[in-house]
Amino acid sequence: MPTVTANGLAMHVQELGAGPPVVMAHGLVIGSLASWYFTAAPELAREHRVRMYDLRGHGRSARPPTGYDTTTLAGDLAALTEDLPAFDLVGHSWGGLVALRFALAHPERVRRLAIVEGPLPPSSALELASVLGPAVTPETLLAALPESLRAAVATGRRQAERLVATVVALVRDTTLLADVRAEPEPDASGLRIPTLLAYGDRSSCLPGGRRLAAAIPGARLLVLPGGHYLHLDARAQLAEALGAHLRG
Amino acid sequence: MTNAEILKAVEESLVEVAGDELLVAGPITPATSFNADLELESIEFVALAEKLQQRFGGTVDFVGWISKKELDQLIALTVGELVEFIASCRP
Repeated sequence: MPTVTANGLAMHVQELGAGPPVVMAHGLVIGSLASWYFTAAPELAREHRVRMYDLRGHGRSARPPTGYDTTTLAGDLAALTEDLPAFDLVGHSWGGLVALRFALAHPERVRRLAIVEGPLPPSSALELASVLGPAVTPETLLAALPESLRAAVATGRRQAERLVATVVALVRDTTLLADVRAEPEPDASGLRIPTLLAYGDRSSCLPGGRRLAAAIPGARLLVLPGGHYLHLDARAQLAEALGAHLRG
Repeated sequence: MTNAEILKAVEESLVEVAGDELLVAGPITPATSFNADLELESIEFVALAEKLQQRFGGTVDFVGWISKKELDQLIALTVGELVEFIASCRP
């Protein structure tokens, strides 16, 4: 099911495995469903039907000019999961805040929740993406990439140029920056869904993770060695922790 | 199916996914690296996995194979390694 229409947008969706469903959302700008596809998803697919999708504006999904706030993105998520029974939900970074927003709006649809490196306040997501200036170049973009990918992308030009084109298009042609700046802080105190919060010990997002852990009743905070791109920095450990959390 | 035929099929799938600009630098050989030589984006690699799964069927567990590799092995992956893997899955 590579392309489906949700909220009137052509969205790129991939699935792996079979079993109870889990849906995985990725982070902004340099993220795509590949963030999960080559990291935790294959491990989870041993026991789950894993559905991943490219957020609007990212990967191979359509890039509309508006709607990068978590409420609209949670609406996309709702449309993309209409056919599923209640499912587990995992999100990285902005995708984690989308997952949280979805779980707060549709608690009956979410079995278990995992937020990986969700930034609080939401606008701090922009600090992570220091590439989002008006004059992004392959060099500034490289500097902002996860360390593990930097060497790979630095080997040549095609990947860097394509990444820059994506960043420039998102910044110039969409409301993404304004949407992130205007995003309200989520009130997660009413959440009654078993929640895992996974953060990196070197990530600037960790204080936000601690705040979420204090706000969500019963949430478990797991700190793994790594930075914001924890699915890369602690690939095996994160996959194992997600598997254990979803198993209950 | 010989390894040369599998290589041809991988090349065709690559062009479908990322365009024939990939061939500008020269022919795809077993030594060609997906990252350093072809500079495939990760989302294109997902599309390649999907194409190969369609082409070779369920006997080729491309994603399972990938999941057992470390990140640095993935970054260094060559077309030849993929061809060998596909050949090893087929009766």
